[in-house]
Amino acid sequence: MFRKLYLAYGLLVLGGTGFAQYHGWSLDRITQLKNVPKSVRDNPGSYRSVYGFYHHYTGGK
Amino acid sequence: MSAGTPPLSNPPPKPQVKALNCPQCGSAIVLRALGHAETVVCESCHSILDAKDPNLQILQKFEAATGEARPLIPLGSRGKLRGVDYEVIGFQRRSITVEGIRYSWHEYVLFNPYKAIRYLTEYNGHWNDISVCKELPQTGFASANYLGEAYKHFQTSDANTNFVLGEFPWQVRVGEHATVTEYVKPPRVLASEKTANEVTWSLGEYTYGADIWKSFNLPGKPPEAVGVYENQPSPVSENVKGIWGAFLAFAILLLVFMAGFDLASPKGAAFESSYQLNVGEPKGEASFVTDVFNLEGRTSNVEVTTTANVDNSWIYLNYALINNDTEQAWDFGREVSYYHGYDSDGSWTEGGQKNSVILPSIPAGHYYLRIEPEVDPKHPPIAYTIEVKRDVPVLGFFGIAFFALLLPAIAITWRSITFERMRWAESDHPPIKIGNSEE
Repeated sequence: MFRKLYLAYGLLVLGGTGFAQYHGWSLDRITQLKNVPKSVRDNPGSYRSVYGFYHHYTGGK
Repeated sequence: MSAGTPPLSNPPPKPQVKALNCPQCGSAIVLRALGHAETVVCESCHSILDAKDPNLQILQKFEAATGEARPLIPLGSRGKLRGVDYEVIGFQRRSITVEGIRYSWHEYVLFNPYKAIRYLTEYNGHWNDISVCKELPQTGFASANYLGEAYKHFQTSDANTNFVLGEFPWQVRVGEHATVTEYVKPPRVLASEKTANEVTWSLGEYTYGADIWKSFNLPGKPPEAVGVYENQPSPVSENVKGIWGAFLAFAILLLVFMAGFDLASPKGAAFESSYQLNVGEPKGEASFVTDVFNLEGRTSNVEVTTTANVDNSWIYLNYALINNDTEQAWDFGREVSYYHGYDSDGSWTEGGQKNSVILPSIPAGHYYLRIEPEVDPKHPPIAYTIEVKRDVPVLGFFGIAFFALLLPAIAITWRSITFERMRWAESDHPPIKIGNSEE
């Protein structure tokens, strides 16, 4: 019983992993935007990243 | 039913039953196993009588305690065990005393005129179907071997008979002592009972109360099993090896999957370029865009890797991967920072000169990157390289899958270990002895 359940579960895990990989899923947090103005190509300054105000790490112990 | 074994119930063999009266109290006594029983106990006054004597000579008188437990399976009940009909003819309560605590169990004598006597024992809702061994087991150090199966020593104790009722195929007495040595190999238990005159070996098999209730057609439900019994089969132990085998197979499959996706992914970079950031230059618009590059194939992920020659410094890049045709964008920021030094604990490092990010589900198309770098203003020029790769294996998924497969195997193993610890805690060989010494 346990073995059958585990086999089914394992196949589900493998299937899920394969599906996620095949469809190009990611674990990273990315912001998706639509309708970015065409002018960005000519004037990169016309676009500001949503991560522009990131507090930078100054490093060191 | 085995060949040549007539059922008891259709009809019961008449010559085997005889009605008599107790010479002590005059109550009616039915001898169910006439010719087989050595002793019979009066149900009214509990006198133990000689079943072989036509006058039922009194062998022992004893006072049963008020409220003495009655048999859960009434004497005279008939049922089928292993395809053979049996009748319950005797009942006794026996006990052992360990560290001042008395542990009692019940034994039922089962009779079929054409078969050997069997017994059912019950302790805290745990039942065993017991028969006398046909061969003499071989005993060794803390082990015994019977019919090619090895049993581990569980417990040796002095058992006393406290209460008897019905008929017995031996000269039963209240107060009888026997040294009982038990060996287990779940679901079986091998036991020797040593008295002053003889040693009897018996083999028991764990039986579920519900099965006995069904076999004897008893009303209600059997008592709930409490705790773990010495030969109770573990609900998970038999699965442990199989699950670890399956886990190994899945782990190998996972590796094959990973290798397959790695082999299938394009080897070259879709885009690669190097840049230099000079902070000392007159301040202007820092952002810029790359050339348009092509992402081919099915919708899949995109890995953007930034490598920078940072040294006790950082560079932060605001990225946007922009589809040149659809005006869709994926906005993200990455920091590359690398610090190192030496202090009282020795040398240390933090971060690294490389950083990767994986963008999910990017359709095929023409793309460019908008990049806006930021650095520590006091820092010398920083050179950095950006590489874009298509359809890379996400190690995180395989890691999560690995642990998702591993956890149930660990949980079942842990459950099995806990079950076995509970079993052996009641034995002469507990896993942890009082006084914190491990066995």
